[in-house]
Amino acid sequence: MIGLEIHCQLTKLESKLFCTCKADYRSFEPNTNICPVCMGMPGTLPRLNKKAVEKATMIAMALNCKTPERLGFFRKNYFYPDLPKNFQITQLTMYGPTSIGEQGKVSIEGKEIRIRRIQIEEDPGRLIYEGASERTAITLVDYNRAGTPLVEIVTEPDFDSPRQVRIFLNVLSDLLQNLGVSDPTLEGAMRADANVSIEGGNRVEVKNIGSFHDLEKAIHFELTRQQSLKERGIEIAQETRHWDDKRKITISSRSKEEDEDYRYILEGDIPWIIMDEKSVSSWRQKMPESISSKKDRYITKYGIPPQVADVLSSDKYYSDLFEQAHNEKNAKEIANFITTDLMGLVDTREKREQAKITPKHLMDLAEKISSGQVTRSSAKNALSEIVKTGKSVSDIISSIGLAKISDESEIDKIIDEVISQENTAVQQAKENPQTINYLVGKVMQKTKGKADPTITLNLFKKKIGL
Amino acid sequence: MVTKEDIEHVARLMRIDIENADEYFDRIQKILSYFDILDKANISDEEIPVQQIAIDDLREDKHIAFDDKLIEQLKNYKGQYVRAPKMN
Amino acid sequence: MSLAISAIDYINGIKNNTITAEEFVSKTLEHIKKHEPRLHAFISINESAVDQARQIDKKIKSGQKVGAFYGMPISVKDNICVKGGKTTCASKMLENYISPYDATVVTRLKDQDAIIIGKTNLDEFAMGVATEFSAFGPSKNPWNIDYVPGGSSGGSAVSVAALESVLSLGSDTGGSVRNPGSFCSIVGFKPTYGLISRYGLVSYANSIEQIGPMGRRVEDVALLLNNISGKDQHDPTTIHNEEQDYLSGIDTGISGKKIGIIKEMSSGAGLDSTVESVFKNAVSAFEKLGANVQEISLDMIQYTVATYYVLTTAEAGSNLSRYDNLRYGYDLDSEGYEFRQYISKARHKFGAEVTRRMILGGFVPSAGFAGKYLLKALKVKSKLKKQIQLAFSKFDFLISPTVPVLPFKFGEKRDDPLAMYLADINTVTANLTGIPAVSVPYEVRHGLPVGIQIHANILQEKKLLQVAYALQGTTKLPEVPL
Repeated sequence: MIGLEIHCQLTKLESKLFCTCKADYRSFEPNTNICPVCMGMPGTLPRLNKKAVEKATMIAMALNCKTPERLGFFRKNYFYPDLPKNFQITQLTMYGPTSIGEQGKVSIEGKEIRIRRIQIEEDPGRLIYEGASERTAITLVDYNRAGTPLVEIVTEPDFDSPRQVRIFLNVLSDLLQNLGVSDPTLEGAMRADANVSIEGGNRVEVKNIGSFHDLEKAIHFELTRQQSLKERGIEIAQETRHWDDKRKITISSRSKEEDEDYRYILEGDIPWIIMDEKSVSSWRQKMPESISSKKDRYITKYGIPPQVADVLSSDKYYSDLFEQAHNEKNAKEIANFITTDLMGLVDTREKREQAKITPKHLMDLAEKISSGQVTRSSAKNALSEIVKTGKSVSDIISSIGLAKISDESEIDKIIDEVISQENTAVQQAKENPQTINYLVGKVMQKTKGKADPTITLNLFKKKIGL
Repeated sequence: MVTKEDIEHVARLMRIDIENADEYFDRIQKILSYFDILDKANISDEEIPVQQIAIDDLREDKHIAFDDKLIEQLKNYKGQYVRAPKMN
Repeated sequence: MSLAISAIDYINGIKNNTITAEEFVSKTLEHIKKHEPRLHAFISINESAVDQARQIDKKIKSGQKVGAFYGMPISVKDNICVKGGKTTCASKMLENYISPYDATVVTRLKDQDAIIIGKTNLDEFAMGVATEFSAFGPSKNPWNIDYVPGGSSGGSAVSVAALESVLSLGSDTGGSVRNPGSFCSIVGFKPTYGLISRYGLVSYANSIEQIGPMGRRVEDVALLLNNISGKDQHDPTTIHNEEQDYLSGIDTGISGKKIGIIKEMSSGAGLDSTVESVFKNAVSAFEKLGANVQEISLDMIQYTVATYYVLTTAEAGSNLSRYDNLRYGYDLDSEGYEFRQYISKARHKFGAEVTRRMILGGFVPSAGFAGKYLLKALKVKSKLKKQIQLAFSKFDFLISPTVPVLPFKFGEKRDDPLAMYLADINTVTANLTGIPAVSVPYEVRHGLPVGIQIHANILQEKKLLQVAYALQGTTKLPEVPL
């Protein structure tokens, strides 16, 4: 049985959870995105970010959770250098339901994963070990991240396999992007701990997992470790283990939580927030269309094939482009562009940030194809130029000469060239007509995809007497 | 009844070096015993008292940087970082 | 020029050109320097005060708009942050701490052209009833320096009583403004919880404490309240006060008002007979003013001291966790230490009383004890609030002696914390229920002051100041022996 505890930063917010420093700290020099409040200086008080509550509520609703009547905050008290107040402001299920979400569920390939609880809390700062060695005596602290808004999602131990975990995390990641609350691809924006147990064994928590890739490995390792203990008749201790990335194993933690007692108390500086029906339903209305709803719409309204619709709907970057570029006529064409040709050009965050393509480009390209001015192959070539330079489609077509070649005499010349160079293939085509596509392909190659494929095929057939 | 070990344990939890628990033991025990008076109050049905506010009273999501170079006003900073002893 | 004038008289003097801010502030500083070695009200003095006063005089002369305080010297308890200067909370842990920002109340004072004359002494982190627990030495009661001035805002009370400032800002968590008000024969006012911003008040028990104005006269306190109260975006626990003017109509009187004597605070073995006698005089005075006075019993009072100390130690334990000497504090090199070791050693600098409360604060919310202590205390708080609301459905005001005992000598209560905690029995109810309460100086017996406490319901400060003003008018206090 596997359960997850996932921390998601709300990177799309402007400011931190309790102060006006920037929510996304990644572009700042160390300790320059701080203020007296997030540093917990004496006398300072937390000011809850309204949008954080809104976005967290949307996450809770997207995960089918119940939202509370009143939102409450608590203090989790412990001492650590990355925690400026030596307590974390978080949410608990104490004194009634006061966390942002409870008892939700998500379906992964037909399996229901129950969400136990979602809570809003603040991220601590970051520790850097001087000399990058575990043995040095000093830690350097950068508080830029302290106070960044987090949503913690705790699942029931409903996962059956590491693979299910991976799928869930991808779904969650897409969901967060689709809601516009977070970019989970940013470093550290989504972190997960796991709890793993096998039948008859105790629950083991696994922490300090750097990436989702490692998470799968860690869970797999842990299941194997527990299974082998069971086979040897050794009890599986209930404990916390941490993932050692170098050795790729889990190690028992002499946990900092040994005899730790968090002495939970109410957060007296934050009154409980009344989650009135009007506000909550206005947030529900504001929520972007869900991924599954988009997917259904693409399939039923535009006849887009399910696999294409899947890719298109689950990636916000693609679906945004699609939504703005498509109409009844060109929907399929554009969906195709995006999910086949464009994908390779914008498959990382950096590439997307630098890409100069706009919905208009896609609309123009689709129009050029349907009006016969450009072949699909040419369009594919044009895309790479568009992404790089952002020039208009017409400019690119003329500048790199992508106009479709429909002139029969021109195509004829190329066909003659190919025939003279591809004797064997021509003989083969005479015997086996299907293989003529190879020869048509050669013509396309020589014309850089500009030759009209239908005209080319017909001319070629005629020429070699098919 | 609270013991000296309990007091030492809590002092550790609160990260305060108390040289010897004896000094604190008598007084703390006395005070904790006094707190037992709460057992007599008839309060089992009472709710937790909390202040309440509306969503509209919350802070707008705006980025406003803190002007002064706060890091330079803190102690223990080296270059751009705050130095702290490492946890074992 | 006398320093023994009220804030209102000072302002009139400035407006009438009979005094200047510079003169008054200079004289005040001289006076402070003369009496400080004996009284020790201050932890730090504002050396630029005279310059600042001079600037305000210029402003006045040039006809520019001047703030409500006209350069009046006001002292501020040293647990309230003033930018650029030390805020020590009378603790070795913050010996060298310089705040990077002003508390909201300080900003409002400065905006109204007040002069912060200095930071006053207190019990370390505001935990105490006698200012005996200051890490920098106690303050002395100007009425008799062998006696405590009360606490924890002892320094503030002394500065006002001994004419070292016209007004002061203290903080009241369990009586810390009213208690020293009573012991030093000045007015100490605790507002409704949320009326005054706590942004910049170093937290001790954040769910119940408030900054409290202190002055020699009730109308002075009303003036101060006018300029520092009201909603603050930096403090989400502040509430609207509808822009009330607390000064206007302060002399309305209390004819026909119903006043309830809280039985549990005004009788019994714990009440000193002298205090009782003074209280009886005050009751007669209320009756002569036309009020209807009756006794009321509030049986939840017996649980209030335990409730108060359970809740405040739990909050204090958490609020003081940030003092690990890593980001601010005092000089102690971390070389060679491990993290836990270092901070435990650094926190050894807390005084004994603070340490005691931290340990208690570690117990009461801990996994094993939270149900027994913390949860029960919260529920008592709830029930107490209800009982108080019921009382206010029958009465306009509730009264008692501020402290059941006379000011005591140094060392008398220090060794018995429980006895010391029980001295708070009359004052903690107002904090636990959030209602406003004031201590009005009434008599001085055997050279020691006794004050009368009046409570009103939530946000009834205006009425409370009216009844306090009325009571003030029935007594003539002796001059402080300086």
